[in-house]
Amino acid sequence: MASVDVQNLRKIYKRDSQDIVVLDGMNLQVPDGEFVALMGPSGSGKTTLLNCIAGIDRPTSGTVTVGGTDVTSLSEGALAKWRSRHVGFIFQFYNLIPVLTAVENVELPLLLTNVSKKQRRERALTALRVVGLADRAKHYPRQLSGGQEQRVAIARAIVTDPDVLVADEPTGDLDAKSAEDILNLMDTLNREFKKTIVMVTHDPRASARAHVERHLEKGVLTASLSRDAAAVGAR
Amino acid sequence: MQRQSGPGSRGAKMKYLPYVLKHLKRNWIRTASTLAGLALCIFLICVLQTVLDAIRKTTEDADPSRLITRHAVSVNFRLPLSYKPRIQAIPGVRTVAISTWFGGVYRDIKDFFPNFAVESEDYFRMYPEIRIPPDQYQEYLHDMQGLLIGSDVAAKYGFKIGDQIQMASIQPLYRVRGPLKFNVRAIYNADPARASRVNLGLAFFHFKYLYETIKDSAGSYAGAGTYNIQIANPSQAAAVMRAIDANFENSDVQTKTETEGAFLAGFVNLMGNLTGLLNTVGVAVAFAILLVTANTMSMAVRERRTEIAVLKTLGFSGGLVMTLVIVEGLALGVIGGLVGIGLAQGTVGYMVQLPFMGFILGNFSGLSVSPLVVAMTFNIAVGLGIAAAFVPAFGAYRARITDMLRPA
Repeated sequence: MASVDVQNLRKIYKRDSQDIVVLDGMNLQVPDGEFVALMGPSGSGKTTLLNCIAGIDRPTSGTVTVGGTDVTSLSEGALAKWRSRHVGFIFQFYNLIPVLTAVENVELPLLLTNVSKKQRRERALTALRVVGLADRAKHYPRQLSGGQEQRVAIARAIVTDPDVLVADEPTGDLDAKSAEDILNLMDTLNREFKKTIVMVTHDPRASARAHVERHLEKGVLTASLSRDAAAVGAR
Repeated sequence: MQRQSGPGSRGAKMKYLPYVLKHLKRNWIRTASTLAGLALCIFLICVLQTVLDAIRKTTEDADPSRLITRHAVSVNFRLPLSYKPRIQAIPGVRTVAISTWFGGVYRDIKDFFPNFAVESEDYFRMYPEIRIPPDQYQEYLHDMQGLLIGSDVAAKYGFKIGDQIQMASIQPLYRVRGPLKFNVRAIYNADPARASRVNLGLAFFHFKYLYETIKDSAGSYAGAGTYNIQIANPSQAAAVMRAIDANFENSDVQTKTETEGAFLAGFVNLMGNLTGLLNTVGVAVAFAILLVTANTMSMAVRERRTEIAVLKTLGFSGGLVMTLVIVEGLALGVIGGLVGIGLAQGTVGYMVQLPFMGFILGNFSGLSVSPLVVAMTFNIAVGLGIAAAFVPAFGAYRARITDMLRPA
């Protein structure tokens, strides 16, 4: 069964009296453990598709099934609960909470669980260790570089052990070296931790790390490029 | 599978608190100024309510067997001395004594303490809660220039029995012959059982002394300020009051008779409808602070729109995000309220020492912030905090994640 199954997805925004079709009957399947890159020009609907998969936006019609759950049929409350358990979101601009330390930022999603304070701290530190930042746990976002902030954001995304990671331009705000580190990390999460990853990117170096590249144009998928996962992993 | 604990569960309430407090520290200048505004508002309301509470308590604590008759127009006008036997003759009246506010100033206006010229023997017979050592009382009664002072006055100015002092009235007609000379002959205290009814910050002297001094120059102003009356049966107070006022209805000078408590409350209301004024000031201040705090909370939430979107993306429900913002407002209300109430607790006792204000409040013994006022003002503070946070919190609740993630 596909980890992500998008069927006949349409998303229409209303601007004044005009209908703007962002996604036009989209179909997409992402098997378990796949690493997919969504590419395309600005306004092609990449981020909207990603938001629909992550359950932070609702389509006009069609269905999005993630891990067997039709997220389009969930109420707002149920959708929020579902997101907390099944999806990890990585933003382009990291979006860490500036008044919280790295470890407190990573702990945030665990506040929604009944995990004890001690366990929350342990799990957050484990996630930081996975991204190689255990030694910066007590640092505030302003004390970290962009690449480090993004790694903390990834730790926050994986701390609840979600089924799917969605990333919106995760390297878009980083220099080449930091971007490389982040891509290596995502690669590791995919290969070693078997995370299904759906990533939106403009960056060809980033998309080259994915097993599958899907191109969007004007709300429809136009081209697909598959790579041998083992070969990608060997890079 | 991990179970999600909702915002209402006991553990959940506490685990979000550090998150809320960290946000309050984020822009500490803004938080501090909002807190200062809230604290000042609560301080003002607390003080105003304490004054109103004191007025209320005085009315409740007053002896129901004591009435006070004054000029129907204002207590500033005098009543003819000929009224005393006519009042005394009304059925149900037991004792009548003149009491006139002298307004004497010792040394300087800042050293003012209320002082009254009274018909001593009759007056103190109807105020048994005022405890005067018998030997001192006899000395006082036999000295025309004798002065009876409260123990607070004695302590504050260091007066001892036998001291001679002078006081010049602030009322021009009472000082045509210059300052009056007094000999401190007695110091009174309160009957412990009825201490709340006794103001130890007053002074009394013989009305006869005042009258003899000014009778040739003051004209009708040499009359009685009030007639303090003791009645035989408190249940007949209303009938006696009506009878007294009816007795003088067709005279040149009409009277107004009221209970002791009503008179004291009315005396404070000389400045206008004090209760209405103080309550209006309190409501206006609270409303202004509500607007300021709501604006501050709105700014704080607007600045955090991306963070709110992130919280929702992570799985925080709209209701939980709304609760967190309201708890932030609640925390401001609680802290501001406690600071304001603490300030009021610490300073209200000193208000009786303020010029003029002290004179008015000096009539209300034991001025302090009561538990009732503390509870009421604390609830106002909490209510203000929650109300101020409600609109931005509701905005955060309704906001769509994708809209908030977009640059403003």
